[in-house]
Amino acid sequence: MLITLEEKEGIIKRLYEAVIACDKDAAIKTAQEVIEKGLNPVEAIEEGLSKGAATVGEKFDKLEIFLTELMMAADAMKAALDVLLPTVPKEKTMKKGTVVIGTVKGDIHDIGKNILAALLIANGFEVHDLGTDVPTSKFIEEAERVGANIIALSALMSSTIGGQKDVIDYLDAMGKRKKFIVMVGGGPTTQEWANEIGADGYAETATEAIKVALELT
Amino acid sequence: MDVMEKALTGKPCLERDYDIKIFSTKLREVVKEYDIKCDPGTPVPSDDSLADDVFKAALDFYSAVGTYCTDTERIIKFDENEIKERLKTAPTKISFGEGVDAGTMVPRRPEDKTPPWRFVGAGGLPVSSEEIFLKLVESYASIPIANSITTPTLTKVNGMRIRPNSPLEMLGAIRTVALGREAIRRVGRAGLPILNGIATAQSAIALIAGLHPNYGLRKTDGYMISSLAELKTNFDFLNRACGLLSLGLPVASIFGPIFGGYCGGPEGTAVVTVAYHLMGALVYQAGWHLAFPIHIRHIASSIPELLWVASVYAQAISRNTNLLSLYYNYTAAGPGTEMCLHEFAAEFITAVTSGVSIETGGVGKARHEDYLTPIEPRFAAEVAYASAGLKRENANEMVKQLLSKYMDKFTNPPLGVKYTECCDINTGKTSSKYLAIYDKVKKELTDLGLIFKY
Repeated sequence: MLITLEEKEGIIKRLYEAVIACDKDAAIKTAQEVIEKGLNPVEAIEEGLSKGAATVGEKFDKLEIFLTELMMAADAMKAALDVLLPTVPKEKTMKKGTVVIGTVKGDIHDIGKNILAALLIANGFEVHDLGTDVPTSKFIEEAERVGANIIALSALMSSTIGGQKDVIDYLDAMGKRKKFIVMVGGGPTTQEWANEIGADGYAETATEAIKVALELT
Repeated sequence: MDVMEKALTGKPCLERDYDIKIFSTKLREVVKEYDIKCDPGTPVPSDDSLADDVFKAALDFYSAVGTYCTDTERIIKFDENEIKERLKTAPTKISFGEGVDAGTMVPRRPEDKTPPWRFVGAGGLPVSSEEIFLKLVESYASIPIANSITTPTLTKVNGMRIRPNSPLEMLGAIRTVALGREAIRRVGRAGLPILNGIATAQSAIALIAGLHPNYGLRKTDGYMISSLAELKTNFDFLNRACGLLSLGLPVASIFGPIFGGYCGGPEGTAVVTVAYHLMGALVYQAGWHLAFPIHIRHIASSIPELLWVASVYAQAISRNTNLLSLYYNYTAAGPGTEMCLHEFAAEFITAVTSGVSIETGGVGKARHEDYLTPIEPRFAAEVAYASAGLKRENANEMVKQLLSKYMDKFTNPPLGVKYTECCDINTGKTSSKYLAIYDKVKKELTDLGLIFKY
């Protein structure tokens, strides 16, 4: 189907706006339109969804929008990607990386982890969120199952950050440490702690963690 | 039993739907309906109607959204009458401590001359060794106007890092109690209450272990139960409430609504902070409440918007209820720095003038192990004591002056110093270098018009 340049730009703009407006239904509908009208899905993702996600990330960074909007925007982006990615030729992989993320065993706090997961999705990472109180071996099992290159470990309490060390030690003991990039974060974590336990990456905030993840992948 | 019945029979709901569709939607609605607007240029507003509107909005909000129980995936809800009834019957005073060190926590009002309750110490921040733990608690108990103690949290037992729900955590919890009591006894204030119960206990099992009377906790100490962001609980927290209330212990509900999270901006954060008081009184049957609204990214509470939240929630609670409420703060700067003291002063002048009491809070974002000194709690307690009776208008001007001293450094604050850099580990004495900082900032505050009584 032939469409005009104006029509194409209009569709891509609507994708961008659907992410910013946190409108999941509009994002899905517009993504379907991309396919129906024969638009290049890679271009739609890069020019529409990714730019929308970048704008959302910037707004959250400045607290012009808040966590609820960030989560909803990430949902909209993920829903549109679910429509578009199956149509992208395999050689043109769009992913920046695959991340298995969770809060370590014994810790049930999830806000920081949720923010990072949303920002990772918005920045083009495939994210597998294991939730909270995740057993040590589950991180590794899931990372292997989905072919992740990053394991991201969150902990909020000074009494639970030991769980981050446990995952790294477990990887070491299994001879699998070099297979994954391990990032740590959360309230009581510091660069010194990350160094002490042999993590590959640390960030104080979710926004900084995106930069670290992009540098490490 | 009533809470459990509600938890088991309340409206079923997925957690994500509670966060996004119920909590966030209703919060936006009440903020708009009650026309609540933050003016960061007035961190300590004198507008009574604003405080009352925030209270009404919180009542409306909490009766609509209730508390989410993550174990039953249902909403524990209370109607407005149930909430109002509980507010009428909640304790209006609690006595803590024993003998000459005993005291009574009472409700305050905005601009009240009644001195705030001074809950002084580490605020549960992490320390790596028992030696530092002991010395710090000795120093806190030596602060003459401290009327209760908040101990640090041990991160290691015999050099091994604590793991949650493990024997290491249980041992850590027991040692926290025993060491805390011993340190207080050493400085001759054996009756002084410890109000953060068992700081090292992350799990209910460790809490129960530390409660055995052999280790030294008393019925006149304080015990805390937290919740999950935002307005959520689970069986573990409810177990604590059940165990502590069964023993007749004074339970506190502690909560840190997140500015920038599901609460949205300062207006929503103020409403949710008030709603948490209602949740604590109803779900945990808490007799006292500890609030620490916090910034989602900076993990600190000393920016103008959050000072406004602290002031408005405190005025809303203290004007409309007799609940016993304390404010806990997070500084961006680490201990042993002028900025840290400026932040403490801004926060506690705000909170005390607005009608609540204080717990000396998390220095340096509560992030770095062993970054604690005796100076900040002492200074903070003295500022809080001196702030009783200040007019909101005058407090507002002082706070603005203080903000101008540190806001340019807020995004890149100084790390500060560890205990061992500030104090002699053998004698516990503070180095003159850091005492000079304390003297300097106290003088600045005197020049701003704060009259220190100690």
